[in-house]
Amino acid sequence: MSNDVLETTNGQPSPFFHTTSLTEADSLAILHLKRDSLLPLTLRTAADEGYAEGAVTNTRFGSFPHSTLIGIEWGSQVRASKVDTGSRGRKKKETKEQLGPEGGGGGVPVVAVDDPRTRKKRKSDDDLTASELPAKKLKQGASNGQPPVAARVAVEAGSGFIHVLPPTPETWTASLDHRTQVVYTPDYSYILQRLRVRPGSTIIEAGAGSGSFTHAAARAVFNGYSPSLTNKSKRHGKVYSYEYHEPRVATLCQELSSHGLSNIVHLTHRDVCSSGFALSPEHPPPQADAIFLDLPAPWLALKHLARFTADAPLNPHGPVHLCTFSPCIEQVMSTVSYLRRNAWTEISMCEVQNRRIDVRRERVGLKEEGLRGVNASAATVEEAIDRLREVECKLSDYHSNRAAVEVKGEQKKIQSKAERLEKIKLEAETRKLYMEGNLVQRSEPEVRTHTSYLVFATLPRAWGEEDERGAGEMWGVGEVMGGRDKVAVEGGKKG
Amino acid sequence: MSTVHSHIRPNAYLFLRLPSDLLKLIEIKPNTIIDTGKLGSFPSNLLLGRPYYYKYEILDKTESEAYSRLRIVPPSELNAEILTEDATPSESRGDPATPTVNGVPEAYDLVGEDGTVVMKNNRLTIDDASRQALSQQEIEELKKSSGGKEIIEKILANHAGLEEKTTFSKAKYTLRKTKKYLKRFTVLPMDMGNLIDYVMVKEAPRIMEMTEESLGLVTAWSNAHYSGCDGIVEKADELCAGGGRWLVIDDTGGLVVAALAERMDLLFRDPEEAQDSADQVNGTATSNRALETFALEVESAQPGANGGLAENGQETTDTPTKATSHLDFPIPARTDTITLLHPAVQPNVSLLKYFGYDTNQPDPLHPLHTHLSTLSWLQLLQPESDVTYREPEHTADHILRTWKSGKRGTYWKKRRRWERCKAIVDDARRGEFDGLVLASNMDPTSILPHTIPLIRGGGHVVIFSPTPEPLVKVMDLYSKERRAAYINHISKEEIPDPVDFPVDPRMLLAPTLQTSRAKEWQVLPGRTHPMMTSRGGAEGYVFTARKVVPLEGGVMAKGNYAGKKRKAVEAVEGGAEG
Repeated sequence: MSNDVLETTNGQPSPFFHTTSLTEADSLAILHLKRDSLLPLTLRTAADEGYAEGAVTNTRFGSFPHSTLIGIEWGSQVRASKVDTGSRGRKKKETKEQLGPEGGGGGVPVVAVDDPRTRKKRKSDDDLTASELPAKKLKQGASNGQPPVAARVAVEAGSGFIHVLPPTPETWTASLDHRTQVVYTPDYSYILQRLRVRPGSTIIEAGAGSGSFTHAAARAVFNGYSPSLTNKSKRHGKVYSYEYHEPRVATLCQELSSHGLSNIVHLTHRDVCSSGFALSPEHPPPQADAIFLDLPAPWLALKHLARFTADAPLNPHGPVHLCTFSPCIEQVMSTVSYLRRNAWTEISMCEVQNRRIDVRRERVGLKEEGLRGVNASAATVEEAIDRLREVECKLSDYHSNRAAVEVKGEQKKIQSKAERLEKIKLEAETRKLYMEGNLVQRSEPEVRTHTSYLVFATLPRAWGEEDERGAGEMWGVGEVMGGRDKVAVEGGKKG
Repeated sequence: MSTVHSHIRPNAYLFLRLPSDLLKLIEIKPNTIIDTGKLGSFPSNLLLGRPYYYKYEILDKTESEAYSRLRIVPPSELNAEILTEDATPSESRGDPATPTVNGVPEAYDLVGEDGTVVMKNNRLTIDDASRQALSQQEIEELKKSSGGKEIIEKILANHAGLEEKTTFSKAKYTLRKTKKYLKRFTVLPMDMGNLIDYVMVKEAPRIMEMTEESLGLVTAWSNAHYSGCDGIVEKADELCAGGGRWLVIDDTGGLVVAALAERMDLLFRDPEEAQDSADQVNGTATSNRALETFALEVESAQPGANGGLAENGQETTDTPTKATSHLDFPIPARTDTITLLHPAVQPNVSLLKYFGYDTNQPDPLHPLHTHLSTLSWLQLLQPESDVTYREPEHTADHILRTWKSGKRGTYWKKRRRWERCKAIVDDARRGEFDGLVLASNMDPTSILPHTIPLIRGGGHVVIFSPTPEPLVKVMDLYSKERRAAYINHISKEEIPDPVDFPVDPRMLLAPTLQTSRAKEWQVLPGRTHPMMTSRGGAEGYVFTARKVVPLEGGVMAKGNYAGKKRKAVEAVEGGAEG
């Protein structure tokens, strides 16, 4: 494997760490479409997409020209705009039919025009339609060829909205498509907590995968940008990230650079199991305080993470905390067995069980009959008895008057049910349904019952005879050992 | 900056994990004796300068010395013991089958095909104290005369049934005796995880039974992080003018504040610096951070604040020494700050003292001194009725000069206290916080109406509760049905009834309630399974949401992905999915 160091420098503050007062052009924003449906987006003033409004993002909740998203307060709710997606002529006929009149552009329901992750897709899309594009461009004439200055002012559509949020590792994680198994917030929040990762720490991460953990770790270690090594007194937090899958490295590298994280995350294309963690000769070794291994066989990588090896990547001045993330119990057993044989201490294993909880009001009762999302059976014994009496009454009425009003009665009865439903429906409009019923909580319909097993361990700093002698000289005990009465007895007061 | 827990430093708080697995909290002072109770005592100097996470053994006292010495159990020796621990059973009934390469036994059957027992089991084990030939008295005498190792060996040799035991139960027996007679403890640093473990056993309600996994969720979703401006070239003015501020309400004795401070690089003093300043008491070695902050203060001071001091011929800020003298009531920093709202006159953040910050005697060089601001609910909501917020009487210069220095000092101290209080209150009331973190026994529905407006758009709202009920109520206040009803009122230009709508349900996006539990496992070859018992009590629930800026008037949702029926439903449910 090569030692490709994919690090670029980027002077801009990261949008993950510093939020501008308003949304700005060329900055990363997260569009919140609905729960669990988030869309990362770089806001652009101009785009060559051919929309009259300039850059436009189409979602299933409408089209959003970027001009409506730039220069507003973060967290703003934004209405969809009327965008002429049809005359751009990019779409093939069949996709147009599928999507209906309001359909998004590009042939997929959700397309981020400038999202780096889909840009690739877009490009290949371009290649496909390249042959037909020139002709259509000609047909469209002026509107396409015009510089973005002439962008049309967006007109609000009648419905549809999104929210614009500043990016965070949590929103970024939630917006990831599954390139690999993603380390989600319940896991990484616990892992970073247990690994004692603090601003200024150095953490090794292998493999980086889709970058979910990478972003969270970068936030945890961040204590200032280190564009140069001028301020040597302060140890700047770093994430040393390794990934062996080359396309993933390329994608992640681009993302990190556009997120302003290149100074914090040092991404290396490498199979750490075979090649270890050493960096190129001009880089000092990582000196990691914490290690996170999301690998199929973490014990193979662990042999490169021992003290006393040449160019050991561990911080020699402090304890090193380790977490491995493995879905299978066999992996855990091999890992733990390796750790036990190699001086690691504080070995423990656990799995994080996270549940999201649904809260709703459950309405039960006969008065709910015919309404949506309710249980229209009797709510109380009294209600049940009343209803039974009513039925009994009607039945006896019916039997006694059967001869006289047989047909009429039946009609009346059917009517009365329809009437009752109508009446209930009318009443429901004036009722405060959001305050009625029992407030209940239950787990959300889908539960992630297993993500992975987490093995934690700690490697204390190396301690030799010389260190002990040094400490002994600094903190002598001669006096104490000689005279018992000279010192106060400490401890015990807290324990 | 060197690693915080690189070695044991004087006057630090730390934990000793005793053989019983209980943590003992110690403040380690030089030239004192640490008494561990049952294990014995030893001089603190034998731990100072030594590394954390090692197992230390208390050696037998020699005749010539007053106290026992310590020995770090070297990794090689520990290894040997750990590997025998590998075979430590807890609930196992059988001998280990031959482990394969990765430790999984090849066979696990106790009974052979013909029905005979092919493995040794505990069917014939006799549980009786008489199996041990040594009497308690003899053991007690042994303890006086010989070391831990010898005792264990003798005890094992005198156990009649040892050979009948399975390998696992033999190992378990040995381990139990080892724990009992070897005087060993592990030294663990003061950090959030160990502190939680410690408090959880002693007095869990003090930290609202907050587990480490809950704390992890809270800190992650709060998005708390370092937001200093060093190294920023572009847009520095904008980004440094009051970014990175979190509003906190904390009834966990300061645990939440400590965790957030840790994420914001405010919890630990640079250990080297701390060492320096301890050496030169109140010397001129001001921390970079304090100086930085101070420089900011001077630049940004309102004319009435520090400027006033300078005019009045009081000591000005020429040198770091003089700067330090003003750090008793510092004007709070402008970025990377925690603002703590408390119900009582004084905040309860007593746990912070374990990290070197005691609110009663604050260390002026601790980052929290300038980055933690505290104010009471009264100061936030009705500042004019608070004594500290009221400006103390102004005394003219020429009168001041006639005063005795003590009286003058008190006067300036009062002024400085007022200036700090005013700066904190005004800053809090300005709002625009990046996040709200709430872990309180108070009813969240009474807190939110006052605090949500103080959070900036896109900011984070995180509420922790040991039990779900208070948060279920909050979820209900922000339910989509209630929001739709609220929007409905607004679009009809009605004013929604504050009884029905204690909060504006449009202000929070994606309210989510979750709970996490880390399930511990025992990992041993052939006997890997979840722990048989674990802590009960509160599960710990976390509510998260983002503060948003809603559109004026009615809003129609739209979904154009499905059939007509679905579309109609979406439109009715309004702004819906949040």
